[in-house]
Amino acid sequence: MSGGFEYLKALIVEDNSHMRSLLRALLNSIGITDIAEAAQGQAAIEALRLRRPDLVLTDLAMKPMDGLEFTRYVRNDQNSPNPFIPIIMITGHTEKHRVEAARDAGVTELLAKPITASNLFARIAEIVERPRAFVRCDSYFGPDRRRHRTEGYGGPWRRAEDMEDVDVR
Amino acid sequence: MTVQTTEKLTTRPASENKAEFIAPDAYPQMMSKQNGIRALQTLQSDHVALKARTAMDAYTPILRDAILDYVEALEEASTDLAQTFAIAHEIRNFAENAGLATAGRVAEILCRYMDEMERVNKAPEPAIVGLHVAAIARAARAEEDDAKMGEMVAGQLMALVNRRLVEAGAR
Repeated sequence: MSGGFEYLKALIVEDNSHMRSLLRALLNSIGITDIAEAAQGQAAIEALRLRRPDLVLTDLAMKPMDGLEFTRYVRNDQNSPNPFIPIIMITGHTEKHRVEAARDAGVTELLAKPITASNLFARIAEIVERPRAFVRCDSYFGPDRRRHRTEGYGGPWRRAEDMEDVDVR
Repeated sequence: MTVQTTEKLTTRPASENKAEFIAPDAYPQMMSKQNGIRALQTLQSDHVALKARTAMDAYTPILRDAILDYVEALEEASTDLAQTFAIAHEIRNFAENAGLATAGRVAEILCRYMDEMERVNKAPEPAIVGLHVAAIARAARAEEDDAKMGEMVAGQLMALVNRRLVEAGAR
């Protein structure tokens, strides 16, 4: 059984050609065939403009423009073709500070290398099944970084909808 | 939902510059809801899982050759620590996809060691780096990835690295 992905366009941003091929093969297996590739962020920006993908898979460590800078461009630049596009960052750098940097740049999902088909598919399923709300504030634009509501949260409320959305008992 | 009491609100003042919250149905989604249902079925199907497994298996020999090229480069990098780290990271990233899990695991320990030593502004010990490079090379060139032996070697290297990181004040 396959379906649902036949009209989807994807962009793979990865400096390692083997990893690009592997990702392409995995995307092919779920029915995504319209796939653009770029070896680093600057080329990816061109591909974004020309190919208008619906989904981006990007590596973190690339030169000269890395995955974080590329993600910030997508989310914040006035010339970005789609600031809401889902971005899955695929990285071997899973240290806490790097994960936080990726989250703060505006990635939608993070996938650790070495990749497996099931992990990649789980991230894509998450995007399909539970699309994230976006948040725009002075210092950030991107997917809501709060995945869970904290019971009994006692800190300040900062979002315009917080008072309506949260049941304060 | 409605706010039911005002008592807690006085202890939790809202910021003056509130963030704008954009709900998923207020911006263009990756696919329609109808396609989304089909897509989820696709992602969960056994047929697609098998197809993906086959696709990955087809790449195993190619990736194995690539890892062996990286191993040669790693050995040649010798005292160039930045180069050693970069290559070890590539090996760590997809050695497992090449069926070389032990080489990947040892490369991961080496990367973590170098990363944490850098964090405390100390140079990695050449002997420790050399030990890892030798272990990666040996594991990658082994005909079969001997999981049991690999676990033992990786465990010993991990213990050594942990001890050295404590001595270096990185722990």
